[in-house]
Amino acid sequence: MRRTSNSVAGVARALRWSVAVFVLVVGAVATARADDPDPLLASGAQALQEGRVGDAIDAFEAYADRGSVDAAASYDRGLAYAQRVRVGAEKPGDLGRAAHGFEEARDLSRDPRLVADADRGLAAVRGEVARRRLRAGQPVEVDPGPTLSRTLAGLLAEDTWAALAMAASAVLGLGLFVRWLGDRPRVRVMGGVSAGVAAPALAFAIAMTAAGRHDRQSVVEAVVVSSTARPTDERGITVPGSTALPEGARVEVVREEGASTRVRFGALDAWLPPGALRTLAR
Amino acid sequence: MNGGGTTTRNANGSGAPVRFGALVTAAILFVCAIASGQATPQVQVDIDGDVVGVGDLLHVEMRATSSQAMPKDPRPGGTPGFTVRGQSQSPSQTHISINGNRSDQYALVVDWGLQAQRVGTFSIGPVSVDIGGTRYESKPVSVRVVPAGHAPARQPPPQRGMPSPFGFSPFDPWRNLIPGMPGVDIAPPAAPEPQVTLDPKLSLDAPLALVYFLHAAVDKTSAVVGEQVTFSVFEYRDIGSSGIQIDEEDLHDAQVADFVKHALLREDQDPTLVGFASIGGRTWAVKLVRKWALFPLHSGDLAIGPMSLTVLRPAGAAAGARRTEAFRIHVTEPPAAGRPPGYALGDVGRFTLTAQVQPRDIEQGGAVGVHVELAGTGNLPTALSPGAREGVEWLAPEVHESLGSSGHDAYGGKRSFDFVVRIQKTGSVDLGDLALPFWDPDQRRYQVARAPLGSVKVAPSAAAAIAPAAEQRPLPGLPDARRTVEGPIVHRAHADDSPWFWLGLAAGPLAFGLAVAGRAAGRRVARSWQRRRASPAADLKERISSADVACRTGDARGADAAIVRALEAATVAHVGVNVRASVGTEVAGRLERAGVAHDAASSFATLLFECEAARFAPEAGELGEPARDAARARWVRAQEIIRTLGRAQEKRP
Repeated sequence: MRRTSNSVAGVARALRWSVAVFVLVVGAVATARADDPDPLLASGAQALQEGRVGDAIDAFEAYADRGSVDAAASYDRGLAYAQRVRVGAEKPGDLGRAAHGFEEARDLSRDPRLVADADRGLAAVRGEVARRRLRAGQPVEVDPGPTLSRTLAGLLAEDTWAALAMAASAVLGLGLFVRWLGDRPRVRVMGGVSAGVAAPALAFAIAMTAAGRHDRQSVVEAVVVSSTARPTDERGITVPGSTALPEGARVEVVREEGASTRVRFGALDAWLPPGALRTLAR
Repeated sequence: MNGGGTTTRNANGSGAPVRFGALVTAAILFVCAIASGQATPQVQVDIDGDVVGVGDLLHVEMRATSSQAMPKDPRPGGTPGFTVRGQSQSPSQTHISINGNRSDQYALVVDWGLQAQRVGTFSIGPVSVDIGGTRYESKPVSVRVVPAGHAPARQPPPQRGMPSPFGFSPFDPWRNLIPGMPGVDIAPPAAPEPQVTLDPKLSLDAPLALVYFLHAAVDKTSAVVGEQVTFSVFEYRDIGSSGIQIDEEDLHDAQVADFVKHALLREDQDPTLVGFASIGGRTWAVKLVRKWALFPLHSGDLAIGPMSLTVLRPAGAAAGARRTEAFRIHVTEPPAAGRPPGYALGDVGRFTLTAQVQPRDIEQGGAVGVHVELAGTGNLPTALSPGAREGVEWLAPEVHESLGSSGHDAYGGKRSFDFVVRIQKTGSVDLGDLALPFWDPDQRRYQVARAPLGSVKVAPSAAAAIAPAAEQRPLPGLPDARRTVEGPIVHRAHADDSPWFWLGLAAGPLAFGLAVAGRAAGRRVARSWQRRRASPAADLKERISSADVACRTGDARGADAAIVRALEAATVAHVGVNVRASVGTEVAGRLERAGVAHDAASSFATLLFECEAARFAPEAGELGEPARDAARARWVRAQEIIRTLGRAQEKRP
């Protein structure tokens, strides 16, 4: 009898140990997976920390060439290019590529601190570009900002615009019914006024929702990664009197045809030669 | 019936003794023929080769001689494996009178051109000809057909003068009788062709043009960006032709805009003879005129255009433009998987790197020289990218190169870079490695050529330490690096991605619109219903129903009144005539005018009258059961009349 109870207790103890070991192993694996960055990113970050900016750029570019997109990787890539400029080993296009990395990080990141750091890096790079253009006697406007419609649409999140549109639709429908079926004149006036206010609000909210949706789904943006990106016409002839687009400028890609790309930069609508742009990941 | 034999022309001319014997035999026969005045007709068949390639032209020559009559109607017989491409005939007559003895000789030479169609051994013939009404045949000849380009070279047929009926020329009987004896040529002899060794690899299915043509080839039709594609252009000259003249000013090289081009032949080098080929029964001398190493610049289907030139002489059909084939090379990028950091698109080949650094001890702010040699085959990069490090400044290098064909058609050689590296840091400064990742197309994998640079000892210098501090460095205030990834981008769904959102957006106004429209539609339906209720047909239906009900009750007057109303409603609904207030024969008259048959109209008028009479009869209310039965009988009749009116209405157009 005692032997039976001892063996049962032993089995229970072994079971408890097994469960404990299993939990520890699973936890360790999960932790390792979460903390284990891609080897390329790890080597890039290591090289960046050790001042080997060339190796860091190679690693981050190889990561991007694989089609992998990560906000922190884009940020570090931009930083590596900026560091190469800073240590005096600059190559043509480094400032533009640095701006591209920061812009991409800013767009992709959900971390407000990373966004703030990317903003700082971007400001430093654009400041340097503006200084150089000023010295060269070129216009210093590096970032004309988005168009009015995109600015308005960007005031609120797309889902917020959608919710507003839904609310306006409901108020409009209700107001119309009240105006139609109301018994008392006061009620009917109230319904009419509600519908009258809700109708334009609905139209505006729908327009902003559609603009946000179009922006998210269709708009392709890129960053100029060349200091000599002169705008041309459709035939590839340089637009008379034009200066090169600022390196690091964010442009909207309208169309790609053959090797050239039609872009919109502020009020300018022109074509850029191949290799002058790097598309932003979304 | 076989009066002839078959011979194959000997290519090397060693058949002179055979011809001598044949000539003696012919002379004896000739003498005998003259003596007898009669000779057996001779049919002899010659072929210009017993082994030919597919597509080659074989000449079958028949000579028929007779002293009786002119041979006619030559036929080649069976030609399995061959197609007859042409036929030419040469008839001739000879009349000789010796000491009053006249002898006549008729000859016919026929040449058939047969083109070989497939590989195998085939029996051609028997060739036959009609002489004096009798058909004479030769023996069939056997010919072996081998794949195109694998047949031995054949001599072109000798230029013949007038065919001799005696097998030798009467103007030069000693010619060829004795080997080595020079003869008197009636026709110029054919130009002797050199004995050559054929290279089947240079052979083509058919010549691209007469006398002279160009043929291009590439060693591969798919490659990766930067991989060498070897493009060659060969010149083919028919060795039996002479005086070929090319218009040097109308020579256009192939267009290769999507490639970097390097010549693998020296520019001052004459075209090199690469061999001989047998094509279309002709022997061609083949020279290599262009050989380029082409390196694709980007992915896609890239075009290699044709090379062209113009042949001026010989004039006629052989002159004109010649152009090579055009090609499309399918170019892709090397795989992204496993691509090492720092790989630049286009670095394809097999490379090695070596480096020397001198001196190894300098002062701060001083410089060292780094000599790097990049060697190998393929698309050697024009620049190296030394890893940028803080405090180490690599100045632009001086580049020397020695590149060209490096055997086995590969382009390559050596390119050296002499860097000057200025060092601002102190202590043992590690310059790291120079690394050049490349794609090896033979092994189909990435490799990295490395050259370790080692360290340089940098002694502090007071002057150099002050300089960087004074120098304004760009991009101050850069933020710190991140060491952790943020994670994959999650594209979450948005409310407006769903069609339900847009449907819901329209729901309120749409519901209002539907309600308004529904009410309007309801009103329209009600009005329409009311209109239908007021129609004669609806009225008749109602009156019939009322009459039915009235006839089931005990009120005979009421039943008759209901029957009258039903009858009046029936005339309105079915005939379009209102007989209310009509009396006597006026009822029947109105109905007949409206198209009702006379009998029906009369029955209707009678029944209506009976009903009216019963309705207003003073005793009707007191008769009780009989009056009710009479009313019901009238209702039965009325129903029949109403149906009759309805049928009449249906028959009316």
